[in-house]
Amino acid sequence: MSGRLFPNALHVARREYLVRVRGRAFVITTILLALAIAAVTLVPTILAAVGVADPAQIAVDVQADDLTSDPVLTIQAALAIGINPSADPAAEPGEDESIEQRPRVRHAEDPEVAAQRVRDGELDALVTITRDAEGELAFEYLGSASPTNQTRLLITQAATALAIGDRLEREGIGPQESAEIFEPPAFTATPVDAGDVRDAEDFGGAFILAYAVVILTFMAILTYGNWVAQSVAEEKSGRVMELLITAATPRQLLTGKVLGTGAAGLTQYVAIVAAAIIGFMATGPISNALGVSEQSPITLPDLDATMLLALGAFFLLGFILYSTLYAAAGSMVSRIEDVQQAVGPLIFLSMAGYFASFTGLNDPDAGWVGVLSLVPFFSPYLMPARMLLTSVGIGEVLLALALLAATLLAAIWLASRIYSAGVLLYGQRVGIRTIWRASRVSR
Amino acid sequence: MSLVVDSITKRFGDVVALDGVSFSVEPGRIFGLLGANGAGKTTSMRIVLDILRADAGRVTWRGAENISLPRRTWGYLPEERGLYPRMLVGEQLRFFAALYGVPDATGRAEIDDWLEQFRIPDYRERKVEELSKGNQQKIQFIAAILHDPDVLIMDEPFSGLDPVNVRLLKEAFLAMRDRGKTLIFSTHQMETVEELCESIAIIDRGRVVVSGAVRDVKRAMGRQVVRLATDGDGHGVEWLTQIPGVELTTQREDYVELHVPADRDPGTILRAALERGHRVTRFEIAEPSLEEIFVEHVGRRAIDESEEHLATSNRKGTA
Repeated sequence: MSGRLFPNALHVARREYLVRVRGRAFVITTILLALAIAAVTLVPTILAAVGVADPAQIAVDVQADDLTSDPVLTIQAALAIGINPSADPAAEPGEDESIEQRPRVRHAEDPEVAAQRVRDGELDALVTITRDAEGELAFEYLGSASPTNQTRLLITQAATALAIGDRLEREGIGPQESAEIFEPPAFTATPVDAGDVRDAEDFGGAFILAYAVVILTFMAILTYGNWVAQSVAEEKSGRVMELLITAATPRQLLTGKVLGTGAAGLTQYVAIVAAAIIGFMATGPISNALGVSEQSPITLPDLDATMLLALGAFFLLGFILYSTLYAAAGSMVSRIEDVQQAVGPLIFLSMAGYFASFTGLNDPDAGWVGVLSLVPFFSPYLMPARMLLTSVGIGEVLLALALLAATLLAAIWLASRIYSAGVLLYGQRVGIRTIWRASRVSR
Repeated sequence: MSLVVDSITKRFGDVVALDGVSFSVEPGRIFGLLGANGAGKTTSMRIVLDILRADAGRVTWRGAENISLPRRTWGYLPEERGLYPRMLVGEQLRFFAALYGVPDATGRAEIDDWLEQFRIPDYRERKVEELSKGNQQKIQFIAAILHDPDVLIMDEPFSGLDPVNVRLLKEAFLAMRDRGKTLIFSTHQMETVEELCESIAIIDRGRVVVSGAVRDVKRAMGRQVVRLATDGDGHGVEWLTQIPGVELTTQREDYVELHVPADRDPGTILRAALERGHRVTRFEIAEPSLEEIFVEHVGRRAIDESEEHLATSNRKGTA
């Protein structure tokens, strides 16, 4: 007897959802995660307000007094460009600060006093510019910063620019001419696809969004898939399974379990994402209240409805595909302790997709990324990343979705079969072959 | 039209769990499924319920094959007790009622009625894990019958219950039978079977060794049991064995038990005792108990089986 999927699957889903979201563990975890995310979004503002993220304070002691341009301005400019990333889209996303504050670079009135202030921690660095015996500019950096410190790296760049300008000047090339020499050439990148609208401004935001989508998908599969497997194993080891399997068909139970757990997982996700959005929106008012100037570090690309729909479809189908198989894995073990072992291959598979997509994010146009983004178990990671970072033809997206949906149907069939046999087999380790044999004569 | 189990066979790998099991149960009756541990009772039940599919054979209820019947036809109390430990009793029962398609209002009323009948009405808002084993078992029984099934199948329903609860459950059984329901249960307690069951089947190693109405099963044993106690000390019982056809089976301090073939008159024993001048304090003619029948069938079966096994391996050797 096959039995209609609904309403029994909904009864199962409803029970699963309520038990899950009413659980103390769920409530506490969700609240903690939401608070953590909200805190992360607000940390830069708060740090700025309490002065931890104060702009760099640099003193410059110019002993080479024949310089035509003021090195203070050059260093100031170098630091300002480095710290304000919106002028430089190639900057690493994680390194930017959300608060634009101009670094303060000043002439050191008294080098001795300035050096002492650096030692006392009042100044970040003292840069001394001298001219050596051969007439070259020499720079001395006094400060406690590590070699990878951003301020120090930027000052090094400024020093290089100053030295080159100085050499050119000594060769008789004035500032006006040298500026012309270092003028960047006209460089226009023309995409092959006319519809490709990747502009530099949005790319940083799209990149971060792609990372976020991949990570969120991975976490959902890993966490909530595991819930499904745990819950099936609990029913089996607690022996309530025999009552269930008499009252409902394996397909109803399986579908209900995946839907109910998925809905609980999404509830948690909505809470976390809402906390993040509230955090971002609160940044402005809080900055104003604390008297800190604020500036949004990234601009998210505009997402049209089609894109959102496609991202949602890949997330949901991918999640359901994995959790259906997690349910089958859970039905194969007799004890909850054995769940981790049974879901091992699935964890491996989802990790493979996750890491592949991370490599793929750096080179989204690569051929292998294109191929893998169509393969069902990987497409939930790779296709959204490609869609955000490159321009993908609608045909390719639909093909990936169709393959994913077809695999899902096959997985439901396979999982129901494993489940119907697995839930009644108890033993130390139920092998896949035993289950397959048993399932041929089960419903 | 009855429940007919028609030569079902089921293998698990190399193990033959059921080997052509057949029996039938009349509607509105209580039926006992007896057998040693591992005989195939649970597998038979699961096949009737269509949780498992037989390799061969079929099961029909009122002429319709079980695989075409809706699930609410059956109620099932599995041998392994299990409920959701952290769910409230009332919520849990409503969940099972919903799975069987019972409207929520009807379900609630039924739940209250049954909790009342089992004298645990205030357990509705308690978590299952807070209940004693016996009470959990009662909850599970309610879960199995909330949808008012035509056939109720129970695996060892009485095990682990105290005498008061056994009595409550027996009353529930009889009440259901009086409402025209068909009940099938397995047990090791032969007195319970004698008390409740109109007919039985004894399964041993995947085969039905005897089945039918309890009365017929007993008659088919072809003998009567006589219990005799005499007053007077010192005299032995050897004289009893000299009576033709009489077999001394048990010698207890308070009485002796004898087997007499069905075609013999047990009265000869009484007459012989009186002739010898004994004062007879107890003389009782009875049918063999189900326990005796069970031990005899299952025991003999075990011997047959090993001989058969030998024969099979010999045949294999010559082939």
